[in-house]
Amino acid sequence: MLNEIANFLSSQVSNSNAAAHEAEVGSGHVLVAPESLYACCKALKESDEFDMNVLEVVSGVDYSDRIEVNYMIASFTKGSELILKVKLPKESADAVPEVDSVVSIWKSANFLERECYDMNGVRFRNHPDPRRILTPDDWEGYPLRKDYKTQKEWHGMEIDPEHKVNSADHNFFKKVVEEMQGDEKKVAYSWKGEE
Amino acid sequence: MQDSVVLMKVDDFLNWGRKNSLWPMTFGLACCAIEMMATGAAKYDLERFGCGAFMATPRRADLMIVAGTVTMKMAERIKTLYAQMPEPKYVISMGSCANKGGPYWQHGYHVLKGVDEIVPVDVYVPGCPPRPEALIEGLMTLQKKVANERLLRDKWVKHA
Repeated sequence: MLNEIANFLSSQVSNSNAAAHEAEVGSGHVLVAPESLYACCKALKESDEFDMNVLEVVSGVDYSDRIEVNYMIASFTKGSELILKVKLPKESADAVPEVDSVVSIWKSANFLERECYDMNGVRFRNHPDPRRILTPDDWEGYPLRKDYKTQKEWHGMEIDPEHKVNSADHNFFKKVVEEMQGDEKKVAYSWKGEE
Repeated sequence: MQDSVVLMKVDDFLNWGRKNSLWPMTFGLACCAIEMMATGAAKYDLERFGCGAFMATPRRADLMIVAGTVTMKMAERIKTLYAQMPEPKYVISMGSCANKGGPYWQHGYHVLKGVDEIVPVDVYVPGCPPRPEALIEGLMTLQKKVANERLLRDKWVKHA
C-alpha cells in the first residue's frame, strides 16, 4: 500500500521525492518533499485509485533541526488510511518554518493547521485564517516546542506564582532528571534522547 | 396569628433572606460543572437550600461557583463576569483546578494557578471533582458566613 502510493506520487508529481517508510511497530508513512506537498495532496484526493477524501489529523513533532508535520489522511470509500509526512528544516531555535496550506483541498485542514501553528509554530502559506486557535492571540512562543519557556505573566496575571508552586514535588522531579543525565534516553522531554 | 409581631435584628432578618436565596450564575468550566449540574438536579436538589435558581446573567446572580479549570484565556472573562455581578457577591472555588491549579500546577502554561489570583474567594471546595455532597457542604458553609455578616454595621460593599 505504502509503496503503491509512493510510486503513484512519484509518477504524478514531479520532484515529489516520495518514499515509503515501513515501520517495525505501528504505521508506516510516506515522506514527500515540502515544496510538493500541495500537489501530492491534490493528486491523492483526485485519484480514482486512492480517493483520499478525508483529512483526519495534522500534527507536528519538534526535533532539534527540523519540524515534522504529519498528515493523517483517509479514504472512507476505499477504507484505507495513510500518514503523509514532510520534514521542514529549522534554521534556528525560534525559526517558524513554512509549508503550503491544504485548506483548499480538505476544509477540515482549517482548524487542524491553526492548531499546528499555535502549538508547534509552523506557518501555513495561503491559509484563509492564520490565527492561533487555543492560546490567546497575543501569546508568546509555541508550547509544544521542546525548548519552550513559559512567559512570566499574561495581561497582568502571573502564570507560575512563587507562592503557589509545590516546591517539594518540583525539586523531587528535578533531582530525578539530574540522576538520569547519564542515560539521556530516559529524559522524556530532551532532544538528546532522539536517534 | 396574623396579628402577631416578630422581634428580631434587622441584620438577622436581611441575612436570613439572603442566605436562603443565594442565586448562582449558570457558569461551568470543566468536569466540575458536571458535578455542579448533578447537585442542581433532582437527586441532590440544590433548591432545598434556596440555591437552585441558576441565573443566565451575572447581573441577577449573588454567587459565582467557579467549577473547573481556569485557563488564562478564561480568567479574563471571569474577571469581567465578576465585575458585572451586583454587590454583595460571593465566590465558591470548586475543585482542585480552581483552588490551586490542580494537575496543571507545574507545567500548565495555560492555567491560572488558582482563581483566588483574580477574584476574592469565600469558600474552597476540595476534590477532583468534588462530589455533590461536598459542594452542598461548601454552600452551607457559605450560608453560615452570610448569616454572620453585619451589612448595616460594617459596610454595604464587601470588596471596596
